Amino acid sequence: MSAAWRFQRLPSASPVIAFSARAAAILLALVIAGGVLSLTGASPLKLGQQVLGASFGSSFGFEDLGLLFIPLILTGLSVAVAQQIGAWNIGAEGQFYAGAFAAAVVGLFVPGPPMLILPMMFVAGLLGGAVWILVPTLARAYAGVSELITTLLMNFVAILLVYYVSTNAWRDRTANSATRRLSAEIPEFWGSVHWGLPVAIVVALLIAALLSFSRWGYEVRMVGSNPAAAHYAGMPVRRHLITVMLLSGAIAGLAGMLEIAGTVHRLQGGISNNYGYLGIMVAVLARNSAIGVIFSAALMAFILNSGIILQTQGLTTSAVLAITGLILFLTAIGDELAHYRIARDKA
Amino acid sequence: MTEHPPRFKAPSGAPPLVQLRGISKYFPGVIANEAVDLDVMPGEIHALLGENGAGKSTLMNILTGIYQPDAGEVIIDGYAKQFATPPQAIAAGIGMVHQHFKLVQAFTVAENIHLGWSETPRRASAPVLEARTAALAARFNLQTRPGARVSDLSTGEQQRVEILRVLARQARILILDEPTAVLTPAEARELFRALRDFVAGGNAVIFISHKLDEVLEISDRITILRGGRKVATENAADCNPRMLARLMVGRDIVLADMRQRSPNAAPLSPNPVLSLEQVSAAGDNGSEALHGISLDVRAGEIVGIAGVAGNGQRELSQVLTGMRPVTSGRIRIDGRPVDKANAAAFADSGIGHIPEDRLHSGLAPALSITANAVMREYKTSALSAGGIYRPNAATALAKDIAAAAEVAIPDFGMPVRNLSGGNQQRLVARREMRIANKVLIAAYPSRGLDVGAINTMLRYIVELRDAGAGIILISEELEELLNVSDRIAVLYEGKIMGIVENDQVDLDEIGLLMGGRTLSREAA
Repeated sequence: MSAAWRFQRLPSASPVIAFSARAAAILLALVIAGGVLSLTGASPLKLGQQVLGASFGSSFGFEDLGLLFIPLILTGLSVAVAQQIGAWNIGAEGQFYAGAFAAAVVGLFVPGPPMLILPMMFVAGLLGGAVWILVPTLARAYAGVSELITTLLMNFVAILLVYYVSTNAWRDRTANSATRRLSAEIPEFWGSVHWGLPVAIVVALLIAALLSFSRWGYEVRMVGSNPAAAHYAGMPVRRHLITVMLLSGAIAGLAGMLEIAGTVHRLQGGISNNYGYLGIMVAVLARNSAIGVIFSAALMAFILNSGIILQTQGLTTSAVLAITGLILFLTAIGDELAHYRIARDKA
Repeated sequence: MTEHPPRFKAPSGAPPLVQLRGISKYFPGVIANEAVDLDVMPGEIHALLGENGAGKSTLMNILTGIYQPDAGEVIIDGYAKQFATPPQAIAAGIGMVHQHFKLVQAFTVAENIHLGWSETPRRASAPVLEARTAALAARFNLQTRPGARVSDLSTGEQQRVEILRVLARQARILILDEPTAVLTPAEARELFRALRDFVAGGNAVIFISHKLDEVLEISDRITILRGGRKVATENAADCNPRMLARLMVGRDIVLADMRQRSPNAAPLSPNPVLSLEQVSAAGDNGSEALHGISLDVRAGEIVGIAGVAGNGQRELSQVLTGMRPVTSGRIRIDGRPVDKANAAAFADSGIGHIPEDRLHSGLAPALSITANAVMREYKTSALSAGGIYRPNAATALAKDIAAAAEVAIPDFGMPVRNLSGGNQQRLVARREMRIANKVLIAAYPSRGLDVGAINTMLRYIVELRDAGAGIILISEELEELLNVSDRIAVLYEGKIMGIVENDQVDLDEIGLLMGGRTLSREAA
């Protein structure tokens, strides 16, 4: 028998190999994207240089990155938290809008000093997001209706609702299809980057700690991993499903609140930039780890920011979406390949 | 005994039907097979015996083209063959019936027989397929109902369909993986008759089993594997159960009566610790699965539940552990009626539960060994005082449980699914025994374990009985029930057909009860 190379599957991948596979996947995605860009006549190296220079070379670029980072942490966290209980929250986009909407109601119509209004907007954002996932949650918990579809459908309702109020009843005469400026805004601590950033990171750390170091978190992980085993152990499976899904919605709603109170300052259509959908990718890249979400959100913010810079160079946004898709695709392959090793048959 | 068909005489000098030469197969860190030789002659029923992990399945997966050997050759009828895919093995006349049937439940028998078969007529109507199936069934003497849906068949009938499907593809070597695990004794006898007919025509059967008695009954020769290597091939006529068991596990084991109580064992309690009074409960599909069950278990006794799987055992164990609500009747723990099914409350009052499908309901396969080991005790103040979960304390507890279960674990953070089935089962058993100070409900605790591990498991259960817990042991292995139980109740279609004292057991009587016959009807 001649010597032959072949793949062997291992039950688990070592962290070093898993990490290298990820890094290789992202690098390969960028190389492929660069190759395609060069076919269109652009010079990928020059573009890359511009992207890096604009992102990290100036404090303005870095601030833009920071502002994209905040909502992505929270929408990614929202999806990751729902995944912990075994649910797909495709509706982070809609909950983002609902949270922004609820916060805007407070910011536009409740008089008072910012010190009082901001906490109220904070709570309103959480509630708005939670309310937006309430119906899908109850449908899943009591009737077994797949939350995948229902949360997705709720997105369109929220997006159109925000469009409607910001272009009709609440439209400001001076602004084009947006409300007037909110009465309260989150203070900035570095350039245009506001205190929403530390808040988002703290929320992610808090959720990570809750999942790993609380009795509640242990039960949630058990319910999410195997509901039948959780039922066997006497855990309240349905109650956990409901609370965790509502929490997931609330986190996405918080993202919307921080966005309008810290970055946009007005309610308007299209405020989300697809943050809710990108959150799915952030969560997948982070393997649903709350800490991992912080890192994958940073990567995603960089990719988004690169897209904005590339747009100024005459590329369309679709190119950026294609690159993110490539990264996700290759990462999935990398994750699977990390479980294999190449062995050589001895003759 | 059944009449044997005339034995097939292979002409002298004829090559073996199957010859495996020096087969080796390695997985990372594991020797699955090493230098295994196996000859199977025409007209022979050849048993393959071995513990879990002895390499039986790997060897058969190589023979059926699912795996390729790392070394060695497969020789069929004297010609070396390489099977890159299962269809190539099928084309060479090798067919396998797996333990878990691979039938399409919603299709008829005839449709299943013709599925993925090159000889299926291109334009086939149901009557044509059914006529062809009936002809095949007659040819191989395997009784089936061609027009019936597979989901409506009993497990014994489904197995016949599987065998017929394999034989229809001109298999000359039939491999059966634990074929009697799902059959009643009568169905098993029928299967054995069909196998003898099959080999009488010069074909061969490879019969994988754990059960020593049936291996001795059915096979001509027996090959024993241990740790991936072949230990011996013996004529069945020269073997006895004790010697086979010794060859299998490499040491003497006791297949003995374990009802003897140790001198300082806890006495039998006068009152039941757990009792069911006329309890009925619904199954998953909403129809009634348990009908008026009355059953008591006292501290210090083992009550066996016999019966063919699927007759309400799952529902019974769930009712007994608070996982399934009752529709009528009453459950008492220590004489106090329970008002509501609540698994946590049942566990808190000292009722442990080894569930029948550990991977589906006893464990979260993707979570760590630690997370799974502490499933019953995570609420204790040592592990989560004030709601703060302490991973280090959890790992310490997991280590205790693993030590008691005699399972060596390199990394408690790895997913529990990486452990072998036997080790998972031991961990679950030890975890449950820690909380079962009143009652342990053990559903098929030895399912999928090898002889050595079964004895360890039964020893655990007997120790727990001696420590003063009441035990309900649900099993389909009569021998196991007879070895340890004080009383045996027989479950059939959700009803208890009768409860017999172990001293007065008559095997035929239990067999009849398992088949749904009452004693009086049989006497009449």
